Amino acid sequence: MIEYIISIKRKTKPFWRDLWIWRMAWRDARHNYSRLFLLVASLITGIAAVVSIGSLNYSLQNTLDQNAKELLGADLVLNSNKKFDPSIVAALDSAGVTVAGDAEMASMVMFMNTGQSRLVKLTALYGDFPFYGNLETQPTDALSLMKTGRYAMLDESLARQFEISSEDSLKIGNRMFKVAGVVNKIPGGGVLTSTLAPSVYIAMDALDSTGLVQFGSRVGYSLFVKTSGEEKTKSTIESIRPLVKKLSYSIETVEGRKKGLGRGLQSVYQFFSLLAFVALILGCIGVASSVHIYAREKRDEVAVLRCLGSSGWQAFNIYFIQVLALGLMGSLFGAALGAAIQRTIPLVFNSFIPLDIPFTTSWPAIGEGLLLGALVSVLFTILPLVAVRFVPPLTVLRADSAPIRRFSKMRWSAILLIILFPVFAAAYQSKSWIVGLGFAGGLAVALGCLALVAVGLLKLVRKFFPLSATFVFRHALSSLFRPNNQTQALMVTIGLGGFIIATLNIVQHSLLGQVEFAGNQNQSNTILFDIQPSQKDGVISLIKEHKLPLNQVVPIVTCRLQELKGRKIEVMLQDTSVHIPEWALSREYRVTYRDSLHRSEELTKGEIHSYRPGSRDSTWVTISEGMQETLEVDVGDSLTFDVQGVPLRARISGIRKVDWPKDPPNFIFVFPMGVIDKAPQIWVAATRVGQGGEANQFQRELVMGYPNVSLLDLRLILSTVESLFAKVALVIRFLAFFSIITGLIVLAGAVVNSKFVRIRENVLLRTIGARTRQIMQITVIEYTYLGIFSALTGMTLALVGGWALCRFFFEVQLGVGWIDFFAVGFAVTLLTVAIGWFNSREVINTPPLQVLRKE
Amino acid sequence: MPEILLAATALTKSYPSGSRELLVLDNVSFEAEQGARLAIMGPSGSGKTTLLGLCAGLDVPSAGTVSLMGFKLNAMSEDDRAYLRNQFTGFVFQNFQLLSTLTALENVMVPLELRGERNVQPKAKALLDRVGLGDRLHHYPTQLSGGEQQRVAIARAFITSPKILFADEPTGNLDEENAQQVVDLLFGINGESKTTLILVTHNLELARRADRILEMKGGRIVQDKRLSVS
Repeated sequence: MIEYIISIKRKTKPFWRDLWIWRMAWRDARHNYSRLFLLVASLITGIAAVVSIGSLNYSLQNTLDQNAKELLGADLVLNSNKKFDPSIVAALDSAGVTVAGDAEMASMVMFMNTGQSRLVKLTALYGDFPFYGNLETQPTDALSLMKTGRYAMLDESLARQFEISSEDSLKIGNRMFKVAGVVNKIPGGGVLTSTLAPSVYIAMDALDSTGLVQFGSRVGYSLFVKTSGEEKTKSTIESIRPLVKKLSYSIETVEGRKKGLGRGLQSVYQFFSLLAFVALILGCIGVASSVHIYAREKRDEVAVLRCLGSSGWQAFNIYFIQVLALGLMGSLFGAALGAAIQRTIPLVFNSFIPLDIPFTTSWPAIGEGLLLGALVSVLFTILPLVAVRFVPPLTVLRADSAPIRRFSKMRWSAILLIILFPVFAAAYQSKSWIVGLGFAGGLAVALGCLALVAVGLLKLVRKFFPLSATFVFRHALSSLFRPNNQTQALMVTIGLGGFIIATLNIVQHSLLGQVEFAGNQNQSNTILFDIQPSQKDGVISLIKEHKLPLNQVVPIVTCRLQELKGRKIEVMLQDTSVHIPEWALSREYRVTYRDSLHRSEELTKGEIHSYRPGSRDSTWVTISEGMQETLEVDVGDSLTFDVQGVPLRARISGIRKVDWPKDPPNFIFVFPMGVIDKAPQIWVAATRVGQGGEANQFQRELVMGYPNVSLLDLRLILSTVESLFAKVALVIRFLAFFSIITGLIVLAGAVVNSKFVRIRENVLLRTIGARTRQIMQITVIEYTYLGIFSALTGMTLALVGGWALCRFFFEVQLGVGWIDFFAVGFAVTLLTVAIGWFNSREVINTPPLQVLRKE
Repeated sequence: MPEILLAATALTKSYPSGSRELLVLDNVSFEAEQGARLAIMGPSGSGKTTLLGLCAGLDVPSAGTVSLMGFKLNAMSEDDRAYLRNQFTGFVFQNFQLLSTLTALENVMVPLELRGERNVQPKAKALLDRVGLGDRLHHYPTQLSGGEQQRVAIARAFITSPKILFADEPTGNLDEENAQQVVDLLFGINGESKTTLILVTHNLELARRADRILEMKGGRIVQDKRLSVS
């Protein structure tokens, strides 16, 4: 034998220069694109979610930057809870700036067309507000009519609700106003503001004539200032700052409002972008899953190529090129879909911010989406595809040949990058490393918990396998344990979508449960406030005349803290080592006096002391639990109150746990009887009003007889809160739906993956006598099991997660809307069955002979 | 004296089977000269296909060596063995092993394209003509009968003018008529190109067309019979 070659010189080319690879990738792909549909679909959903939220963020930022001044309608706003001192008006005059102003208060308004009444935010305007942006009215001359003093304007939502048109009249306090028109848009306003507190606008000159501003009325005053530019704004602020501080006013600037709004929006954006991130991560699982299936299907062909002389890398690159091309295509479609979806989201967001968000296409967001898509395509395809490199050529002779080698640097690099990817991606999405790490960690924990629940459930099924069930049920159940069936992975991915939606439902239900007291029997649903002492008896009689229960009549005295544990509040406010929030130290407290606990209260520490005249330290107050923690005080600590100019020293005798939503009003501080009884005070009454005519009649008589008394209808608040929840929940559900869709794509992939095993199994069953109907039953039951188990996995974790969120984050009691909760489970099961069935048609319809021949 | 293209020396192959090792080949040695037609026969499980796989470099032995065209296969990496296969060998399998996503013509072109050769289509067409499939160039494997698929596989095997051709039960999946056509083609082209043929078969009639038969049993060669050339 001639040993004529000692070593071999193999020509190797980089893949971009190896034309054969590109040619093979193209030839092979001609008939394979449909097989990679799952990959494209996974990327489309993931990238669409990211791009839509990213685009929205860009649009929001642009809108905020370009229309910042419209947020205030002025360069500068001064706020106060009392009438402005003439000295500040004079100071602004001498600064040479233009000034307008308003006064805002809560008040009842009666609509004369129907006789109905409602609590509104009454805004009395003067001057040329707004200086920036437009106050859009209908008709356009409504504002000038209103300024005459005889007319009022009202928010569009209010006009619609009470079917008010021009020529109708309103009764505000003691005065009648004709309706000048509706306000469509006002700087600083927004759909949310007008939903929560719809406004009625009158001229400032007309406010006094309503008789609404009395002792105890809470009125907020604002001065809107227009300057000649930024420099002038700064110099004006500097010039009035000492006066503003002395008079305890607050200054609001455009930058401040923008920052505040920006921070709020940033939190909302972070939340939504992280939901989009969940969809992206599930998309990644979808990509990896579909490529895994593809690589398995290609195993035989790779073996042939290896036999004919292709290297492992050449084989890998053929499929990598295909997958990457499709990945980019999926990203492109996803980005386009995301941009389209983004156009619908502002409809929801418009409710939350007082600016119109234009429907612009955000190219940076689309670019980011494409880049992310490319990254995901590379990262999540390498790991499953790397197996192609190690397909042994011997597979052409023996299908069960073991892979050539198991260790691969590429495989381990891909695993490492895949672990790091969620951290980087979440940090990028949320623009915060801490949030990124936290979220990626949280997601890992959630996935881990889901996996644990899934494993536990499957173990339970195995342990308690229903051996006595009929063949069809037993066979369908045992199919879940078929090798390569990915049952656990499916339970986790589908369960994750169900988990998000079910958790959302739990949180929503729990939060709404806090305000649903209005629906409970015997609890107050109507609060009458601002009752003057002289009106108290009359209002009580009116309530009784209407045979309404008088649940509470309590006095309210306003006061502030002067000293806390012997330290003056002013000193504490300047002490940086004090961690008590400024608002808690400087706020106005509305307190009451009584010698017993209300039914919404429970004494958790100390006791209730009655007033004993003459004794030292005789005034003992109780404090609510939350505020006791905020003010860092305990039983026995001393406080000095400033009760409308009179200092009053007191000690804490007890701490009350207050169930705030239950039977309002409830109080932070409760004094004993006999201490502040003589202080200037107003009264609040709580009753329960029924539906319809009874309520209208009572409200009408109250407004007619006591125009300054305001009526707060808690049912109205409940429905407003509910509608807000509905809007937010819509967006969350929408994004969670992406997760479910991606989970179902993974399911479809898994069904396709196990298709050939199923076909063989079904053929065998049919050969030995199973009827088509039985095979169909087995298929449907198998996916029903899978759906139920996936739903159970997600819902079990949702209960735990929902409880944790309610307990530790929202601090409310867990409330589960069982119908909604099980509806989620049912929907997940139904979708799973539908997808499973749709992808199994071929399995069911394949004639036995066709398979047996192939064998 | 004819050049020895393939030499198997003391080949042993075992696979793990549960907790013990299953011995499939036990100390097998043989040589094949250039132009030889060697048939490997034996009952199922006797180690024929394993021996073919080791000789073709599709797998590595547990012990012993295989020298193909002077190369010690054991010492080479998988990719180098693949290169060697592309340069010197051809394959025909029982289940044809065509690439389902490629047309007949493209399937035949693959080995030459892998070498980086250009303008390979005329040669592939000529070979497909030679096997009687000149009118089926652009058909996909699923559009061809079993006999036609095997003829495409033969064309693919011969397109590189291999020094040695490995055939594993080439007629195993064909009816009698197609089997006869395929065998005629295989031996016909083999005769023209003086390719060394290593053929694994159950079929005694087919084996008798070779000039040497190795009979295997229990992982060993039990008979090495040289036949007179017909």
